[in-house]
Amino acid sequence: MAVVTMTTSAPVSRPVSERERLEEALRRCAGGDPAGLRTIYDAEAPRMLGVATRLLRRRSLAEEAVHDTFLQVWQHASSFDATRGNADTWLYAVLRNRALNILRGEARTELTEDFEPMGLASEDESPEAIVLRLSTTSALKRCLERLKPIQRHAVVLAYVHGLSHGELAGRLDVPLGTMKSWMRRSLAALRECMP
Amino acid sequence: MSPEHEQLAAQYVIGLLDGNERRIAERLSEHDVDFQAAVAQWQSCLAELDATATPVLPEGELWSRIETGLRRAPAPLRIEDPTPVAIPSPHAAFAALWQSLRFWRITGLAGAFASLLLALGVGLLATRATREPVLIAVLLTEQNRPAAVVNAFANGEAELIPLEAIPVPPGRALEIWTLWDRARGPVSIGLIDQARTVRLNIGNLPQTGPNQLFEITLEPATGSPTGRPTGPVLMKGTTSTTL
Repeated sequence: MAVVTMTTSAPVSRPVSERERLEEALRRCAGGDPAGLRTIYDAEAPRMLGVATRLLRRRSLAEEAVHDTFLQVWQHASSFDATRGNADTWLYAVLRNRALNILRGEARTELTEDFEPMGLASEDESPEAIVLRLSTTSALKRCLERLKPIQRHAVVLAYVHGLSHGELAGRLDVPLGTMKSWMRRSLAALRECMP
Repeated sequence: MSPEHEQLAAQYVIGLLDGNERRIAERLSEHDVDFQAAVAQWQSCLAELDATATPVLPEGELWSRIETGLRRAPAPLRIEDPTPVAIPSPHAAFAALWQSLRFWRITGLAGAFASLLLALGVGLLATRATREPVLIAVLLTEQNRPAAVVNAFANGEAELIPLEAIPVPPGRALEIWTLWDRARGPVSIGLIDQARTVRLNIGNLPQTGPNQLFEITLEPATGSPTGRPTGPVLMKGTTSTTL
């Protein structure tokens, strides 16, 4: 199966109108109108597949995560509450949750049997490049940049590629215990720094 | 909130939790309002990183698979429909049918059975695809309308899946109870602000058995002040063993 990637760089902040369109589409899903789901698919499926591919590495697993996410969105659209959060955050939280379940539970043995590398492929974008793509006004970017580079890399690799403490320790060449305490401190520092 | 829970929420969102820790976080995110708020805060804080993913064009076949998945759940109900109406899409037809009182009056018990099939279908579609409940309770309203399903699994877990929206006045919540011992009385196993699928908090109770009562009452937002149901019973039902 050929992997088709778009070459355009990602627009990082989402315009309000896009967000409202997503909210409206979710309301239509909640009302039982499948055209609402198609609207979400047309607008978000490529980015969702991109996020899932970064986490799961394998195209077929990433597609499975996106597929399951759309069925969950359809079933649970009525539980989305626009007064309590953004539609896009909600959508990607459902996707990440599904992808992480696949990554942490079901896919581990399958991946190993396939002799696919569990770590990172060399063509992956570096964590530093990912941080650079955050918008210049982003509080997250500012706060990540306050961390030591290696700790910043650990946070980004964990979130974006779903690396575990053990995998991060191996990749960044530090003992597991050190990685765990770094991560705790980094997250506490981010929490302090974020508005 | 404790610094431990704060860390747990962060690591849950970032994706670092595994096994038992992940299950604890999932449970907290269903029941603990402060934990939910911390999770939501971390989600919106880190969401920008998702926007840095390079889009990957899905192949056309992915949408067809999603559509097939959507069609699977409504099918059993449409067979039961004695008066099919011309409605543009199967999904709209399904929704209309579901809300049609006449349909429920006509089908009666068949409706309850169909809702069971629907709940099973919903269960299959969800992430818990590989798990099958060993006991199921269909909770009926006072008008004998199926309004929720409780699935109990062999590993001692249970979940509630609502089948219809339940109006909850401001400042109130839905409390879920079970009764397996009349001497002890009903025990609270969940509190939700609106009808949604939740895992039930039955880890400390004896294994769910057949004919065990589950019910939902309307209570203050923080739950019944007495530890016993105080508000009106909105729906109830007892468990049956699955084949």
